[in-house]
Amino acid sequence: MSNDRLLDRCQEALDLARKHGADQAEVFGEATRTITSTVEKDDLQISKSTQETRIGLRAFIGSQVGFASTNDLMQLEKAAADAVTLAKASPGDPHNVLPEPADSPSVEGLHDPAADAFSTADAVQQAIRMLEAAKSVDPRVIVGEGEFEAETRRRVLVNSRGIEAEELGSLFTYGVLTTARDGDAVSNMAFRFDATRNVGDIDVEPPARQSSRDALGSLGAKPGESFKGQVLLDPYAIISLFAPLQFQLNARNVLRGMSRWKEALGESVATSEFTLVDDGLLAGGVATASFDREGTPHRRLPLIEGGVLRSFMHDAYTAHAMNATNTGHAAGSAGRPPAIGPTNFTILPGEVAKQDLISEIKRGLLVTRFSGNADPVSGDFSGVAKAAHLIVDGKIDRAVSGTMIAGNVFEALKNLSGISRETERLFNYTFPSLRLEDVSITAE
Amino acid sequence: MQKLLEQIVAGASGWVELRYQSRSTKRITVRNGKLEESSSVLLAGLGVRALVDGVFGFASTSDVSEKGILAAIDAAQGAARTSAPSKKERIRGLADAPMATGTFAVATDDPLDGHTLEEKLGLVIKLDERIRSAAEEIVSSMASYGEIQDEKIIVTSDGASAHVFDSKPELRALAVAGRNGDQTMGMESSGITGGWSDLLGITPPEKLADDAVRLAVDQLTASHAEGKSTVVVLDPGLVGVLCHEAIGHTVEADIVLGGAITSDKIGQAVASELVTLCDSGVSEYLPHAVGILPVDDEGVLTQKTVIIEKGVLRSFLHNRETAAHYGVAPTGNARAFVYSDDPLIRMRNTYIESGETSLEEMIAGVKEGYYLRELGMSGQADSNAEFMFGVREARKIVDGKIGELVRGATISGNAFDVLKSVDAVGNDFAWENGAGACGKGQAAKVDAGGPHLRCTMTIGGRQA
Repeated sequence: MSNDRLLDRCQEALDLARKHGADQAEVFGEATRTITSTVEKDDLQISKSTQETRIGLRAFIGSQVGFASTNDLMQLEKAAADAVTLAKASPGDPHNVLPEPADSPSVEGLHDPAADAFSTADAVQQAIRMLEAAKSVDPRVIVGEGEFEAETRRRVLVNSRGIEAEELGSLFTYGVLTTARDGDAVSNMAFRFDATRNVGDIDVEPPARQSSRDALGSLGAKPGESFKGQVLLDPYAIISLFAPLQFQLNARNVLRGMSRWKEALGESVATSEFTLVDDGLLAGGVATASFDREGTPHRRLPLIEGGVLRSFMHDAYTAHAMNATNTGHAAGSAGRPPAIGPTNFTILPGEVAKQDLISEIKRGLLVTRFSGNADPVSGDFSGVAKAAHLIVDGKIDRAVSGTMIAGNVFEALKNLSGISRETERLFNYTFPSLRLEDVSITAE
Repeated sequence: MQKLLEQIVAGASGWVELRYQSRSTKRITVRNGKLEESSSVLLAGLGVRALVDGVFGFASTSDVSEKGILAAIDAAQGAARTSAPSKKERIRGLADAPMATGTFAVATDDPLDGHTLEEKLGLVIKLDERIRSAAEEIVSSMASYGEIQDEKIIVTSDGASAHVFDSKPELRALAVAGRNGDQTMGMESSGITGGWSDLLGITPPEKLADDAVRLAVDQLTASHAEGKSTVVVLDPGLVGVLCHEAIGHTVEADIVLGGAITSDKIGQAVASELVTLCDSGVSEYLPHAVGILPVDDEGVLTQKTVIIEKGVLRSFLHNRETAAHYGVAPTGNARAFVYSDDPLIRMRNTYIESGETSLEEMIAGVKEGYYLRELGMSGQADSNAEFMFGVREARKIVDGKIGELVRGATISGNAFDVLKSVDAVGNDFAWENGAGACGKGQAAKVDAGGPHLRCTMTIGGRQA
């Protein structure tokens, strides 16, 4: 859908909400065009194109709020009426407020004009290149699944307090899932991915080859040993293992009584080398945008600085309820009401080379991928270390299979014994490798 | 709409499959006495799959006028034509199948639309209140209701013309308990295919709330699980998770062709003789399983598929393309979640058939082990059948008696090794009837279940 039209339709929906009895309203519109080419079992599978426009509408009546969404623009009136009906039936909450207009920073590089001409044939070509790169590493590699996706998305946010924001973005995401098979031996599944906003920066081969190497590395792995020791976590493993941090830093969870850091602003929650920043303006970041799901400007926000808790992630509701600054962390699609979420979530690098972190380990485990549970409330984690290698006397000894690791994320934060100077960007996460102490390691 | 789709398909060149879907989703969430979400989402559109030169192309649109539909068919055929030169193995044909015609609707005498928003909201508010006031230790509560109502029309060039109505409501309860800075969580949910009173009947809402509270509070004083390989008794919920996550995915024919461990195992013994494992579009044993599916999204009538019969691997789960590849009949496992998804091979209701041992006998036969109930925070499995599941409730078994609760337990192993170690299958049966959905690039509402089961696996926990 062309642009002025999406903005016009959002304004129209705002007026309809008021006509049906809302005294405040917000409309978020997204027009998305995607072209996807997928790979399955070493062959091109299917190419797809989708086009959709969705509108999400919040209607406020005093402190009551209701939400409705539709992808049928002939039904704007019904959506507006539904949202008002839901608001009327709902108990009120004094913190249901909309943000006021504020100057959004201008963000460059969100949309590559070359993306508009990107065709199905281009997507097919990239998918084939990715498949061939993964296969070129070793004939024992099987590409189970792969996908190349080109997306352009227009976002529009209008509210009755005067916010009118609009942005166009392009994004190319790609990844493959590989296994290696040698006779009866089947490796772990390996998965690698990457993303970029510019046609010229698309480079599907490195993640494809890395995925193949990961799969091969776990082929023929034998059970490890059980002990309590050091674990070196690679960036990919940190995403799932450190998920409880996002939960604790979400101001909604503070209000819900579910954050252990409720009273901890200004206090030490991690080792002094640990700094965690959420940066909604990060150059080239996949979550970079000038405004959030409620129209509040994005910013660079230190969450934990030198181990000290500095801020939670807020939206308009939590900022009002906690008398804090709205940090622009309202997130989500037009299909759901706004929720709080991170943008580009970044652990700053340390000063030690990853190799040196390994060489100091007498007996430990290198973990590339973590498949398991990390309880967001207690911080207890337990799960399988995938593509894991035993480290003995400072050297990588051998690949191990079926090895479980268990411990507590919040204890681990206070006990970190090393942060690598190398970092890796994985979608919206940028992480170094981290060395944890006293982790329980259980062999199969 | 059905007439229009039939006319368009009759006039289209080559093989096409049109799938119109109109979906209404409602969600209500109340946390700590405050309404967090009250939402209504309407989604309608059309997905088109076309087969050109032995290659599929797919397109979707939210414009369901005749013009919009014709444009989507063009886009799907164009995508197929563009891909064809790069495709190594062309589709030689689609397997013949019993194609569905007529109307298929979930049987319920109490449709969800017969109940007002106020009634649904009232139930959620009451449930949240019950959790919060149940025990001193509760620091946070949450209750939610969700419903999905679907109308689909599936028309293909080779004979399907089905009008399908579905209704899947669910309830969740969550309790967080705290003491001395320590916090633990208990969660229970209930999801079905059916109407309002069916949902309330399958598990009383009060029981969901009370079980969530009990779990959260009991864990505060529980010690951590100790990591080792041991004998366990699994409840029907975990048996279902094992069937679905660790076995089921490895027999989805697309995953099999991608190199799953099962690829050359048809006809071989892969489990104990006590184990018969099936996947069915029908709610076997008990009504209202979440994964009920009379017609799949290729327009094929579904069936009960025996995957493992008395320990021997008998069948994979197929769509029409993989069935043709293997020279077998389609099993009715092609599913798409929303109109903009192309159909993939997905499970429906996956379970192990009941056996002969009572739960009491099973427990009595364990000197030292664990009784494990329901999936915890998450579960994952590989195509080599290695799995890892969090356990919601783990209790020690000592000298044939269930004893203390332990916290933070996870289980792992190779699912086929675990099924080979099965030495007792319960004479009972239950569906998991959980909320939530299976993810494979797109969501699917599925169910899983079985009887109690005794076997050996690795418990993950802490080393002393």
